[in-house]
Amino acid sequence: MSRVDPTDPPVEQSAAGLSSVPSAESGELDLDRLLRRVARGDQRAFEQVYDRLSRPAYGVIRRVLRDPAQSEEVTQEVLLEVWRTATRFDPALGGAATWVLTIAHRRAIDRVRAAAAAAEREQKSADYHAPRDEVVDAVEASLDRERVQRCLGGLTEVQRESITLAYYGGYTYRQVAALLGVTLAAIKTRIRDGLIRMRDCLGVS
Amino acid sequence: MLRITNLFAHDLHILTGAYALDALEDAAEQDRFARHLRRCSACAAEVRGLREVSTALAFAASAEPPRELRDRVLAGAARIRQLPPEVSSHAKRRRLPAWWSRIPWTIWMPRLATVTAVIAVVAAVVLGVAQSDTEQRLNQARAQFGQVQAREQAIAAVLAAPDVRSVTGPTSAGGTTTVVLSAALRQLVVSTSGLPALTDGKVYQLWLIGPDVTKATVIRSAGLLPLAALGLTSPVLASGLVAGDKLGLTVEPAGGSKQPTTTPILLLPLPA
Repeated sequence: MSRVDPTDPPVEQSAAGLSSVPSAESGELDLDRLLRRVARGDQRAFEQVYDRLSRPAYGVIRRVLRDPAQSEEVTQEVLLEVWRTATRFDPALGGAATWVLTIAHRRAIDRVRAAAAAAEREQKSADYHAPRDEVVDAVEASLDRERVQRCLGGLTEVQRESITLAYYGGYTYRQVAALLGVTLAAIKTRIRDGLIRMRDCLGVS
Repeated sequence: MLRITNLFAHDLHILTGAYALDALEDAAEQDRFARHLRRCSACAAEVRGLREVSTALAFAASAEPPRELRDRVLAGAARIRQLPPEVSSHAKRRRLPAWWSRIPWTIWMPRLATVTAVIAVVAAVVLGVAQSDTEQRLNQARAQFGQVQAREQAIAAVLAAPDVRSVTGPTSAGGTTTVVLSAALRQLVVSTSGLPALTDGKVYQLWLIGPDVTKATVIRSAGLLPLAALGLTSPVLASGLVAGDKLGLTVEPAGGSKQPTTTPILLLPLPA
């Protein structure tokens, strides 16, 4: 139960050496602490978590699902799930933002892969061919976004497309391989190499 | 052999990227990779780093949710009871990494793979399985291992122990028992194949039987065998192994017994 002590020493960051990611840079430890308070039923802390993470959560869910009403519904589910399961958050496995946004992305993906949703989405995403432009469209005058943009720009075309199709498009690596016309072995490598380059690029501030 | 090698090879490691993007094919592949992560601390560290890239991608996609959502979520939270913390499993997770992370996996991984493969092959050969059947047996054995996730790390530790030994013996009722043990860890892992199915809720019970018959603790229960699937029982982990112990196996009434009530169908001397 020591993890609910607000005076806990800062949690060791990931062994991969990435000590900072956009938006998390100044606040990741605070978020960890907030989430521990949420675990103890602190609704004010939950409000703060909402204010910090509802935008990226809604943003990524909407990017994957496209339908605003469905996205809103899933965002609500995800944030209530965060409230309900905050007691199970383990900072040793990653930061609070990563924990929450992983739940958000997975929930969106689950929705997409549910058979019923798949057919419907097929039509809505018929015109979905330009992941890079989408990312560009989403850019605001924020340093975080600029950094992500710049780092995405440093990737090869295939790396960038495979990452954005998988993450924002919600496709499996097999589907990405089919879309880009490359082998499965190649797509696995491109995704991994691309993410490692992103990690190194984002890690350098 | 090829499949077992692949299981630990680059092939799986390279999926760290797709996993961090939630882009694996289905739940089965995800489970398989998650299991791999528990054994491969280097992969787990890499995934943690790549997940942070996913987090950055999510932040880059930030969009303002409808204003009413905030009220609905906060009102919802006020009405929803939170899960209790996972006290026991949390403690377990906390305890394991301390020694788990000290194990030099880069050195041990190939050996562990070899040991696992050797055990599977020895089991297959002893069982007299036809060559063509071996691959299927290996898959079954692997599936069996996969089912015991809670004790998996402890079992893996026995398999990876520097002093790991293995012994196999037939039971008088038919079927075979395979034991993998580490004297240093004082633990053993028991699996069986082809034991006759029991009726009336009766169970197979394992016993550790010491050499000194004058001691009250000469016979200790080492647990019940789980129900067999496809003729194989998933591995049972037992602790408290003492030098000179034999492994006994008896048929007992439902729920097991404190001391054996029937004649053992197996009395297997264990290597020291």
